[in-house]
Amino acid sequence: MPDIYYINSGQLNTFFHNLKKKYKVFSPTAKEPNFTKETDYSYKDLPGGEPFVFNPYRPVEPLKAFFTYTQDKAAEYFDQDTIEDLPPTIIFGVKSCDIAGHKVQDFVFLEGAEVDTSTSLSINGERSRTIDSLYRLRRDNTILVSSDCTDFKEVCHCLAWEILPHPTEGFDLNLSPLNEGYLVEVNSPKGKDLIQQYKEYFVIAKDTQVAARKVKRDNLIERLKKHLLPQHLVSKDIVQRLMQEGYNLDTWQQFMLTCVECGGCNFICDTCHCFLLTDKKEGSINKRLKLWDACLYANYARVAGGANPLKRRAERLRFRFTKKFDFFVDNLGMPACCGCGRCIEVCPGKIDIREVLKDLAKKLQH
Amino acid sequence: MNNIYKPQEAIVEDIIVESPTIKTLVLKPREEFEFRTGQFIELTLPGIGEAPFTPSSDPNVKDKIDVTIMNVGRVTSLLHAGSKNISLGIRGPYGKGYPLDDFEGKDILIVGGGVGLAPLRSLLFSLFAEIDKYNKVVLRYGARTPDDIIYKESLPRWAKKKKVDVVTTVDVGSSRWKGNVGLVTTILKDLPVDLKKAISIVCGPPIMMKFVTLKLLDLGFKPSQIFLSMEKNMSCGLGKCGHCRIGSYYICKDGPVFTYEQLKDIHGIWD
Repeated sequence: MPDIYYINSGQLNTFFHNLKKKYKVFSPTAKEPNFTKETDYSYKDLPGGEPFVFNPYRPVEPLKAFFTYTQDKAAEYFDQDTIEDLPPTIIFGVKSCDIAGHKVQDFVFLEGAEVDTSTSLSINGERSRTIDSLYRLRRDNTILVSSDCTDFKEVCHCLAWEILPHPTEGFDLNLSPLNEGYLVEVNSPKGKDLIQQYKEYFVIAKDTQVAARKVKRDNLIERLKKHLLPQHLVSKDIVQRLMQEGYNLDTWQQFMLTCVECGGCNFICDTCHCFLLTDKKEGSINKRLKLWDACLYANYARVAGGANPLKRRAERLRFRFTKKFDFFVDNLGMPACCGCGRCIEVCPGKIDIREVLKDLAKKLQH
Repeated sequence: MNNIYKPQEAIVEDIIVESPTIKTLVLKPREEFEFRTGQFIELTLPGIGEAPFTPSSDPNVKDKIDVTIMNVGRVTSLLHAGSKNISLGIRGPYGKGYPLDDFEGKDILIVGGGVGLAPLRSLLFSLFAEIDKYNKVVLRYGARTPDDIIYKESLPRWAKKKKVDVVTTVDVGSSRWKGNVGLVTTILKDLPVDLKKAISIVCGPPIMMKFVTLKLLDLGFKPSQIFLSMEKNMSCGLGKCGHCRIGSYYICKDGPVFTYEQLKDIHGIWD
């Protein structure tokens, strides 16, 4: 039986405010309403007193932005050491797609190692030749409070990748709205510890409440299925074959015509992880910086002497897709797309990942 | 806290001019530095940048590392302009290197092109150190012109070693050059190797690797008998930054040495 509690909305607000005394708390806030499009939600580190906002679908920012920054200091050398003071952090509003996508980030930066979910938010002094220790520190230092989706955006297509619109793993606590409050599921020692600290706000959930949660979840899945059915999306099990057999199709060229090489699709993606190491001098200190990089950029693959194996934009679009749908299927056992649809929304050239895959499938008659 | 992106300091002890465009830097790292032949390192010019190189020295020597560098880009031109006693940084070693155990009892054909002889020199040192384990070592080396040949003094010395056979060629000769003229593929005939127990190792620019591989296949080498030293812009060295991916491999982590068997079905490996 999972560890599930109930908290009413008023108590949740108090809990939320009290957390801010001890933790840095990020939570979603609604952006200015714009009647021409869906309301977007953005993570904010709100001052105390602001009420908790429930986001019905994923926020604008990818979850990775809490663990690798657009610009990080990777090292100082030779004698200085990189030390970062990290406040313990809690992130509310994370969705199932983000958690699925974040598996890729963990795989890359933690080399497939298990994330430490022990009770305390301790700094892990692990010595390893392959783990990114700053990422590890931030990961160990953060509690993920996810929540069920209660609605979806036009671009949402998690189900196409067999990801459900409510988290089933990878979270510390998960909120499911129910009547005048929330069910809170505990999924890790970190989450359990947090509930223990504030146990006065929580009561054990009743079986009827858990059953009601299932009804709400199933209803949303049905609605999302209805939304996706007419789109005829490509299924998870054929996507690797599309990459292998579709390598020389004109799809890449065709969809690339409107690409302006902004790198937006890479930066906003939950699973894209590429970075550039660059060095600079500041007085007597040499600094190495780690910047997000984008495979859609012209110089991404350029080598010393000027040779560039990904000279053409079409080659770079294909590189992005084969990384997600071939490399990661081989190396992690899952495609590196969580169906969040952020890349579709961000693209000024209206390049739609769903349409690219469908075009390949159509041409290959899958 | 262990930081995978942080280099350790290494002092340039000596600089050897190998050719008009190639120099060997002899580095003395602060701490002993171990690598297996074929693995690569990241060499840092402090505050300027970093680039991948495969050491060209004997892996049995732990207190010094030679790095043979061709002047082709931003970092390499500044490394060429550097002088003795400057401080550089090194990280690594990265990748898998040459599987020496698989070479035991074999006829080992080594084909190098240009500065591609650098990693192969480290391999030769490893093979020479335990030459009894191997049947023979056959080196075929091509450079653009006689001036571009590197390790000019070592090549004739290696040729005199027992169980070692060396032939060199240049693409374009000169009035003083008495040796072979022609691409390296032209000296890959009548090779003194027994295909049944031979392996081949190729290192050089992509175009040379492509045509040598095709030639070796033509001669009857199986894809699993051909070892290639691949290169892309390896940056982090750890399979994280993403840049050096080919197919489902990262060159930095799964290579840089691959058999052609591993690569033959991947698109764009010679680009």
